[in-house]
Amino acid sequence: MWARVIEFMLACWLAISPFIFAYPDDATLFWVSDFGCSVAIAFFAFISFYDPLKKMHLCNLLAAFYLIALGFCAKESFLHYALQNYIVLGILLLMLAIIPTDASQQPKPWRDFYQGTDH
Amino acid sequence: MEPIPINAIPEPWKYNPSKWSQRLTIVLVASIATLIAIYMGLYQWRLIDTVWDPIFQDQSMKVLDSDVSHQITSWIHIPDSILGALAYLGDVIFALAGSTRRWYDRPWLVILFGLDVIPLGIVSATLIFLQGTVVGSWCFLCLVTGVISLLLILFAYDEVWSSCIFLRRVWKRSGQFSVFWNTFWGRPSLIAQEVASEMAQKRNKKVNTNVGPRY
Repeated sequence: MWARVIEFMLACWLAISPFIFAYPDDATLFWVSDFGCSVAIAFFAFISFYDPLKKMHLCNLLAAFYLIALGFCAKESFLHYALQNYIVLGILLLMLAIIPTDASQQPKPWRDFYQGTDH
Repeated sequence: MEPIPINAIPEPWKYNPSKWSQRLTIVLVASIATLIAIYMGLYQWRLIDTVWDPIFQDQSMKVLDSDVSHQITSWIHIPDSILGALAYLGDVIFALAGSTRRWYDRPWLVILFGLDVIPLGIVSATLIFLQGTVVGSWCFLCLVTGVISLLLILFAYDEVWSSCIFLRRVWKRSGQFSVFWNTFWGRPSLIAQEVASEMAQKRNKKVNTNVGPRY
């Protein structure tokens, strides 16, 4: 569960990044990208709390790769630190998104296995 | 079939390498390294003017501003200290995830943790200790993080070793890649259960005979 909470916090950080790194008004694409990406990260983290969708956090891997690629490929010099922010966020998200939602417990297949063999 | 006890001791150790006390030690040590690396990263971002160094004084800044450091930064697009901080943070994240039975129920996590700690730790420690010959200057905090990398390897290798033994035995007993693959990803099977149970029982028997009364 804690990994999903941190993902949500990273989404909040990404949402306020345009203000922290003072994006110029004409960098509309980056404003939209940051907002859209943060909504997606928060959404996938949030729905992972619902048991049937608990693996949806893996979709955040896509967001992580997107952020890293954006940080590497974008050439806007006025966004120098913002691009580094994308890379750092992307790597963090990459590590968090693979952590299972029920990481502190035994995996569900093993729990089911033991229940099944008891009968 | 009975579940393996939560604190079962796997071969070849006399303790459970996945126990929380050991993993929280790793978290604590890696967190210290993360903070040190972030501090050096703040200097490389020029958010602070100097770097504290009680032994080599200005040499720390020479190391952090060296051509080698700039070259690495141009490759990875972020300061090398920040990449180091992320690697140590990865150690923290992977040490916190999983139960005390993760050596057999989530081997992928333990192997990933091992990859983050052991090869990366060896490479970073080697680079750090070579800085005197390559850059011609020494950085006290970099050396501290290098020592921490080696300490982390010491704390982490036992759990990785148990998972490797477990996976190897599952592979040998089943002779099927699919069973090995499923076990690696934390999917149970009778063979995986048997191997894990034997590893735990053998160890527990040995521990019991060691601590038993002597006549």
